[in-house]
Amino acid sequence: MFSDSSPAMDPTSPESETRPEINPSSAATNPAAVQPIKATPEATAFESTPSSFADPPPERSNSLDELTHDLSSLHDLSTRGQWEAILDKISQSRALFLLTKPHEHLTYLTYQVIALTKLRRSDEASHELNSLHDFDGEHYRYESFPEIYPDRKGSMVPFSLRWMYALVPTRLGNRQEGLDRLYTLLDFVRERIKEKEGNDDSVELWKKREIFVMSCLLGFHLGHKEFGVSLELIKELIKRDPLDPVLVSKLGSVQMQFGDIEGAKATFDRVEKMSNHNGLVSETQFKNLVGRNKALVHVVAKDYAAAVREYEECIERDNSDVVAVNNKALCLMYSRDLSDAIKVMESALERVPTAALNESLVGNLCSMYELAYVNHTDVKRTLNNWIARVAPDDFDSSCTRV
Amino acid sequence: MSTSATQGPHSLAFRVMRLCKPSFHVDPPLRIDPFDLLAGEDFSDDPTSASLLRRHLSSAEGVDSDLSYRNRFLINHPTDPIGLSGLLLLPQSFGAIYLGETFCSYISVNNSSTSEVRDVTIKAEIQTERQRILLLDTSKSPVESIRTGGRYDFIVEHDVKELGAHTLVCSALYNDADGERKYLPQFFKFVVANPLSVRTKVRVVKETTFLEACIENHTKANLFMDQVDFEPAKQWTALRLHDPSSQHPPSSDLGGIIPNPPVIIRSGGGIHNYLYKLVPSADVSGQTKFQGSSILGKFQITWRTNLGEPGRLQTQQILGAPVSRKEINMRVVEVPTTIHLNRPFSASLNLTNQTDRQLGPFEVSLSQDESQMEKPVAINGLQKLMLPRLEAFGSSDFQLNLIASKLGVQKIGGITALDTREKKTYELVPEMEIFVESD
Repeated sequence: MFSDSSPAMDPTSPESETRPEINPSSAATNPAAVQPIKATPEATAFESTPSSFADPPPERSNSLDELTHDLSSLHDLSTRGQWEAILDKISQSRALFLLTKPHEHLTYLTYQVIALTKLRRSDEASHELNSLHDFDGEHYRYESFPEIYPDRKGSMVPFSLRWMYALVPTRLGNRQEGLDRLYTLLDFVRERIKEKEGNDDSVELWKKREIFVMSCLLGFHLGHKEFGVSLELIKELIKRDPLDPVLVSKLGSVQMQFGDIEGAKATFDRVEKMSNHNGLVSETQFKNLVGRNKALVHVVAKDYAAAVREYEECIERDNSDVVAVNNKALCLMYSRDLSDAIKVMESALERVPTAALNESLVGNLCSMYELAYVNHTDVKRTLNNWIARVAPDDFDSSCTRV
Repeated sequence: MSTSATQGPHSLAFRVMRLCKPSFHVDPPLRIDPFDLLAGEDFSDDPTSASLLRRHLSSAEGVDSDLSYRNRFLINHPTDPIGLSGLLLLPQSFGAIYLGETFCSYISVNNSSTSEVRDVTIKAEIQTERQRILLLDTSKSPVESIRTGGRYDFIVEHDVKELGAHTLVCSALYNDADGERKYLPQFFKFVVANPLSVRTKVRVVKETTFLEACIENHTKANLFMDQVDFEPAKQWTALRLHDPSSQHPPSSDLGGIIPNPPVIIRSGGGIHNYLYKLVPSADVSGQTKFQGSSILGKFQITWRTNLGEPGRLQTQQILGAPVSRKEINMRVVEVPTTIHLNRPFSASLNLTNQTDRQLGPFEVSLSQDESQMEKPVAINGLQKLMLPRLEAFGSSDFQLNLIASKLGVQKIGGITALDTREKKTYELVPEMEIFVESD
């Protein structure tokens, strides 16, 4: 919004605003409505009582606990976004000396660093990382503790911890340090791939890690509009899997982002002709991918009606395709239909909240509210209250700009 | 229709949002592969452990309902860490706007009062220093009514063709609940800046003119140069010169997926150079060769930013070096490979008549200028040489005996040919450089 420079005209009197037709606050009053599939009536993800951590239900396997104390519970909490609960569990376990083996301390430390970073407490995460010894030293190798790990060799450092070590500086505003560490990590991974030659499963795992780090680097460079480097990285990724439709579609999106429309179209045409044999995505996901690519081409040509039709087909195939939902709403708005745009967004939050609740979609919805309502603060506050009841711990509600 | 002097609070208000193209949301997320967290990085080296971990993980995932926040933490597809889901974001701020772009805006008229307003005439126009451009006017068919809490929306577009301050003026003329006719103007200001500068250099080498253009990007965005076309004036044909080594063929083993590196000029001062070779058009008659209009042509430039948002500009006419074709051309053809100080040497010269009529006879000599300083290269022996008349487009070769009196790099210059009939003097150009060695 740009500022109105005629001060006398702004009507700021607090008349009541008509409410939008769909009231987002109706969605979360009944937790059962939000999570209809869960059969067991245990604590749901949407009751934010941080001190009670859910006990794993009887039918859930405790097998992860064989690896590390209470690991299945940590894993469960992490998939529900209950990061505060994870931090509590970690400090409790430490206080009660429940962790007996060196690798358990490392795993718990990794969860702690991740939780702190998720909760935007990256300075504390950094502090925890500083308490570590050199990753490649003896402290973190299985063979240094033969009585605990007989016949086991290698590093017990969870790979995610190495990654967090590189990621945390970027969250503290030190992008250059983070990038340096990521590139160092990439070299490390490539060394391991060479080293593990002969052990096919290991090599495959480390190759996945290579793609992970390269993808992360690509995201950083792309976010900074460094297109030259980004294209080089995408080239490397595509060399490793030229038949991955999701990856090649991302190339198309990158081309579109810097303005090479003809190049993007050619890339999207390629994706459409690909068969989906690599099995990484389901048939529905593949169709939706192609549909969304087509819709983007329409958006560029300002043919918003055609784009909306493509997105509607995607939503019909998969109503949790929030990219299609969000983009459809934007197309409606660009077609002068702000009311329907808002309806589409609100309806998605109501129907599929765990898929739709992301900071970007909410940010877009709030921009729409600011345009549609002179007194948008009330509407946004209602949305904010609903979010507070439903969202995971790491949700950044500053996106509502309330 | 009278508008009261003190209008009181308005029932209507304008809400405005610039609609440049949306952009992709890019944000590397904090999402991991569970294999990288649940066990040490070398845990799976041992195949038994690897399959154990896989089993544990799949049983933990098995009971997972699909309504959880796992997608905020676990990756599904290997490229999830890029953080490019395809989700589009609305523009977060007005941003900068440049000459050649299209200004597009969503305008919403809101009735935030407790009663209906009727007979609403809405106008939107852009005002600049030089003109007012009407974008919307509903006075022919006014909006009958806007209910309480209701809105009337429209989208306006305007190709920006002027620099400097612009004002979007939105106004509504309406009857409020008391039947009073009210007038609400609202003003939204923005400034249009210059996106590019094009610097040109022209060089003439014999018959060919080379044009070098340097485009500099003054915007805050990286510009994808979709089209940079030089349109020559009709007496020229232009050919763009590329560096062949920069055109990488698409990698054949990937079936051409990887595009050639595009021309993107980076924001805030990035540049890119373009080189053109210009030759006189085939159909130009002999006469025109002399006058040589100095207009070379102009550039048409189209650039794109995110999601192909276009901008278009055209330069002014670019002027070349004045091509003044001389009637007589005199030049040095050959000199000996070694020239010694104070030793006479013979230079071969050529005199060409570039007109379509007879000229001459000519008297070739060293010009006497104001300074009586000795010239470093002088004519040895007879100071004047007579040359006969030249036919139209004819030429004649002759020798001059010269002597150099200074060492090092020196110029053969100051030699003139006087047309004794028309009393016109022609200079030797270009001056030729020679190297004078010691004995």
